Amino acid sequence: MNVELQINNSASPVARFVSWTPSPCRVRVTNPSGVTTATVNLTITGVSAASAGAVVFRSGAAGVFSNSLTLSIPTNGSSVPFFVAGRFGRPSVNNGDVTIQARNGATLVGSVQVMVRIRKNANSLTTGERNRFVSAFAQLNNQGLGRFTDFRDMHTFAGDLEAHGGPAFLPWHRAYLLDLERELQAIDPSVSLPYWRFDQPAPNLFTPDFIGVSDSLGTVHFSNTNPFQFWKTDGVQGVNRRPLNGWNPNTQPGPSVRTEAQTLALGAQFPAFRTMQGNPHGTAHTRWGGSISSINTAAKDPLFFLLHCNVDRLWAKWQRQNGRFNPAQAASYDSNPGNRIGHRLPDTMWPWNGITGGQRPPTAPGGTLAASPCVSAPGLQPQVQSTLDYQGLLNATSRMAFDYDDVQF
Amino acid sequence: MAKKRKVAKRPKWKKRRASPKVSARRAVSIATNERRTDEQRVAALADSPLAACENDQDLEAVLNVLRNKDESIKMRLGALESLQAASFSADAFGPYRGDYFATLRKIADDPDPELRQRVLGILMRGKDGFAQKKLLEGLKNPDKALVPPEKALQLLSYDVHAEAYSAARAIVKKPPNDDARREALRLLAADASSAPMFEKLLRDKNELREIRQISASALHALKPEKLQEHARKILLDNSDYDDIKATSLTALEQFGEDQAIGDDKALLKSVDPLSAGEAPTKYKQSARRFLGKHRP
Repeated sequence: MNVELQINNSASPVARFVSWTPSPCRVRVTNPSGVTTATVNLTITGVSAASAGAVVFRSGAAGVFSNSLTLSIPTNGSSVPFFVAGRFGRPSVNNGDVTIQARNGATLVGSVQVMVRIRKNANSLTTGERNRFVSAFAQLNNQGLGRFTDFRDMHTFAGDLEAHGGPAFLPWHRAYLLDLERELQAIDPSVSLPYWRFDQPAPNLFTPDFIGVSDSLGTVHFSNTNPFQFWKTDGVQGVNRRPLNGWNPNTQPGPSVRTEAQTLALGAQFPAFRTMQGNPHGTAHTRWGGSISSINTAAKDPLFFLLHCNVDRLWAKWQRQNGRFNPAQAASYDSNPGNRIGHRLPDTMWPWNGITGGQRPPTAPGGTLAASPCVSAPGLQPQVQSTLDYQGLLNATSRMAFDYDDVQF
Repeated sequence: MAKKRKVAKRPKWKKRRASPKVSARRAVSIATNERRTDEQRVAALADSPLAACENDQDLEAVLNVLRNKDESIKMRLGALESLQAASFSADAFGPYRGDYFATLRKIADDPDPELRQRVLGILMRGKDGFAQKKLLEGLKNPDKALVPPEKALQLLSYDVHAEAYSAARAIVKKPPNDDARREALRLLAADASSAPMFEKLLRDKNELREIRQISASALHALKPEKLQEHARKILLDNSDYDDIKATSLTALEQFGEDQAIGDDKALLKSVDPLSAGEAPTKYKQSARRFLGKHRP
C-alpha cells in the first residue's frame, strides 16, 4: 500500500512549507495493493533531528494540536483532510528538515519532507540560513537590473503617500515585504526574510559576511565571499550607510529607538499604535546616515528590508497581544472615511493594483503581487483590509504563509 | 554657541531611554526651551519625532533650532535627526517638506562639517539640484568644497549625471587620496565607457585588493560576460591572491552559467587548492560549496 500526503492541499513539492499557522493537508491511498478492507488506520507523525524543525497535527480546523494523528482512510482513493503546523519554538534550519510520515502499523506507507519556514531574528541565523538569504537577494538584484529594481522603484517619493501617507503604512509595507519574500523564495524556497531588532545589538548582522560593515565615510564593505559585494542600485555600485553619533550597532541598541516593550505599550487602539511610524520606525531609519535615512533612497540598502521586517513583526506582535486581526473591529485599524485613497480598508493598494494617475502615482512598478504555491492570500491586488488577518485566525483562507519566530498562532 | 545653563538635576531623565509617555506638545516645549539641558532637549525630540508636525508653529520652532548657529551642534543635529525621522511619515510631514528642504539649502554651508555633510546628504538623496551644483563646484575648486572630495563623490552617486562622471574621471587620474579614488571608481561603475579601465584594474595584481573587488563588481554590471571571463582566468592563475580568487568564485557561483561551469574541468580543478590548504576558512567553505554544486 502507498499513500500520498498533500501539504497545503497540493501534491507539488514547492508547496511543502508550513509555519505556525495550520496548513490544510490531505492524505489518500494511491496504491491499495495488499489491503482488503474499506478503510485503513494511518498514524501521521513528524520526524526530525533535535536541531531541526518540528511539526504538530490536528484533524480539523479547530482543536488541540498533537505530535501524531491517527486517521481512518478509505482505500478507494478518497482524500481525508488534516492540518499540520510548525511546533512553536522549533523552526526549520534547512529545507525539508522535517519528514512527515504515514504509517500503517509499523509499515511506512508514505512520507514527504517539509520545512517550517519562519521569519527569524537576523542576528540568530545559522551560517547556512544567512548565506542562502544573501545569495537569493543578490541574485534578485543581479546587475542592478533584476527584479529587485521594481522594489527599489516602489519605495520613492513618487509612491510616498501610498506607503507613508496614512494608516495603511503598516498594511502597505506588509504587502511589500511579502512580495519581496515570495520573489526571493522563487529563487530559493528555503529563504525567509529575517528581521533586524533595532532595539538590540546585532553583532552577527553587521559583519562583512552579512549586511556589511561601514567605514567612517559611510561606504559599506563586504567580504570576498559575500554576494552583496556585487550590489548595485540606480546604476551605482555598493551601499552607503553610516551609524551616527558614535553608535555601534554591534554592541548597542539604536539610540533613542523605542524598545519592543515601549512600542507595544503605545496603546491598544490602532491610531495610538500607528504612531510607531515616527518612533521606533523613523528613528531606526535615521540612526544612520546614508541611503537608509531618506524615504527616496532607503530601499537601495538591503538592511532596509530587515528593518521593516521588524516593524511588521512589532505590528504582528501587537495584533496578537490585543486581538487586532478583524478589519471590522474599529480598534484594529484607523478607518477614518477621510483617509486618502489607498488608506481606507476596502481600497486596493498601489502599485499592485496597477492604477496610475489622478490621486495615484504616475507609474506602478512591478505588476501584481507575487503569487505563492502555498496560499492564495492576500491576492494579486491586495486590499488594505486583506493584510490584517495574516494568520487566517478569522478566515483560514486569509493566511499568508509567513510567521515570526516569537509570534505564536 | 549657546551657553549651557544650570538646571535641576534629573538623573532619571538622563538615564531613561525613549518613552512613549511624553506628549507631542510637551516634546516641542522641552526641545525649544533653552533653560533645559541639551540632553533633555535632544531626548524630547528623539522621543517624539512627529511632535514637530502637530502645527506650523511647532515645525517652525524646531526648524529654528536647526537654523540657529547659537545653538550647540549637538542640539542642531538632534533637531535634524528628529525632522528626518518625521519625514518618514508623509501624512504628517508632507506639508512641511518644502520648508524643510529650503532650510537645509540655507544651512548647507554651515561652519560645522558634520552638519554640512548630513544636510548635503539629505538634499542629494532628494535629488536636489542646488546640492548637486555645490558638490560639483567643490570638486572643481577645492577652495569652495563643502565636504571632502570622497564624500562629494559618494553623495553625487545619488543622482549621477554626465558632469559627475567627468569629475570622477578627473579624480581617478589625479586622486587627492585613496578614499577619493575609491569613491570615484564606485561612481564610474555605471559608466559604460569605463569598462576597459575596470578590466585592467581587475587583472592588475599590483593594484589594491579593494580596488580589484570594486572593479569586479563594476564589470558585473557593465560587462557581465567579461567578468565571468576574467573570473575564470583569475582562478586558473596560480599566482593570484586568494581574496580575489574568492571574489571571482562568488561571481561564477552566483551569476555564472551552471552548465558551462560544470563542463569546465580546468576551472573546477583550479578551485581545488582554494578548498584546502592554507586558505582562510570561509574561502574554503565557499570553494567546497562551489565544487559540491558543480562536481557532485
